[in-house]
Amino acid sequence: MKTAISLLLATTVASLALDPPAPVMPSQARFVDKVVVPVPSEIFAVLDKLGRPKWAGLINHELASAKPTGESTRIAFTLGTIIAEGFIAVEAEDADEVRNLGRSILTFSNALGVRKAVVRRANSIVEFADKKQWQRVRQELDGALTDVRDAMVELNSESLANLVSIGGWLRGTEALCSVVGADFERDGADLLRQPLIIDHFAAQLDSLRGRQRLAELVVQIRKGLADLKPIVAPADNGRITQTAVRQAGEISRSLVQAIQRK
Amino acid sequence: MKITMKSFTSFIVALALLMTATAANWVDAARARATAAAEPYVKQGFLVRQEFWGGSLPAGQPTVVRQQLFKGNTYWFWLGSDEPKATVSIHVYDEDGKLCDAESWQKGAAAGVKVSPKRTGTYYFALSVESSPKKRTSWALAYGFK
Repeated sequence: MKTAISLLLATTVASLALDPPAPVMPSQARFVDKVVVPVPSEIFAVLDKLGRPKWAGLINHELASAKPTGESTRIAFTLGTIIAEGFIAVEAEDADEVRNLGRSILTFSNALGVRKAVVRRANSIVEFADKKQWQRVRQELDGALTDVRDAMVELNSESLANLVSIGGWLRGTEALCSVVGADFERDGADLLRQPLIIDHFAAQLDSLRGRQRLAELVVQIRKGLADLKPIVAPADNGRITQTAVRQAGEISRSLVQAIQRK
Repeated sequence: MKITMKSFTSFIVALALLMTATAANWVDAARARATAAAEPYVKQGFLVRQEFWGGSLPAGQPTVVRQQLFKGNTYWFWLGSDEPKATVSIHVYDEDGKLCDAESWQKGAAAGVKVSPKRTGTYYFALSVESSPKKRTSWALAYGFK
């Protein structure tokens, strides 16, 4: 059975890794559509093993003081960037910033109607930051992301929940490009190789309806994802170069700036 | 007895709700088994994700779950079924279709596979209900990393 699956996958998996997905599907094997987006801790766990980059200079202080204004799509994207910023502040071991971001997470969650779902997490974030228990803060931030998503899904706002994930991913990618670019290292650059996640996010944006889909910010981010894909997932399955890291950093930075723009 | 359109619609809605609830219970039972399988690994420092995959399968029909993995981490994936008499299996393949199981086990209605990715990218988890007294058997897949 194992050999048969291996043979089937050898022919189909390679095609799945590239666009268009799965042109040749074996009659027996069915692919599950659901994609579970990795939590930021999965990436930070690798970065920990690669050494300790200088995170302090990467903090975007404007995010902690951002106010929830504009359309709900922008608020959802921004909440994602704020949660991601929390991880950066944790890496920088900046307790004040983590506290401010914890409060900001509550403010934005309130604007999206899911404050109740994240109050406990936000309090824990502040509490553990005060105690400088950074690993616990990371876990609470992972949990906050999941709780916000689950609460929004319960409110039938799954589309907005997806935007929270996308916002967080973009800010995380921007920071990752800065870290890897500053001290280029192959394995670090390889962390950017996430074609499945880019395709998943692009599909989520494509599934938005009406005004949400046509919102300028959504259109801009959809285009940005399309631009990022060939850079971080070279068609020949080759290595991600220093130039590619720089380009990915520029794209993700411009998208985060667009999210912050009022 | 006269069946009105309204009562017929109510019946259909109630039936749909019941079926959804029952299906959810089956997946919950499968998830509980997958989570139970994960427990010993938590003590080893693996962080288990809350999110999971779930569904139902006839015996002998493989299904494939895709997941982004990062080189440098170690992952365990745990598959559980709601049917105690079922036998399930799981294996992992890279983008070239090469088997990447670093370690695996199969204990009746639960199975696990460990992977230490050689490179960052998409990995493919082939799940199968190898035998089951049921026509379709519910399954759930959870994972953890460190």
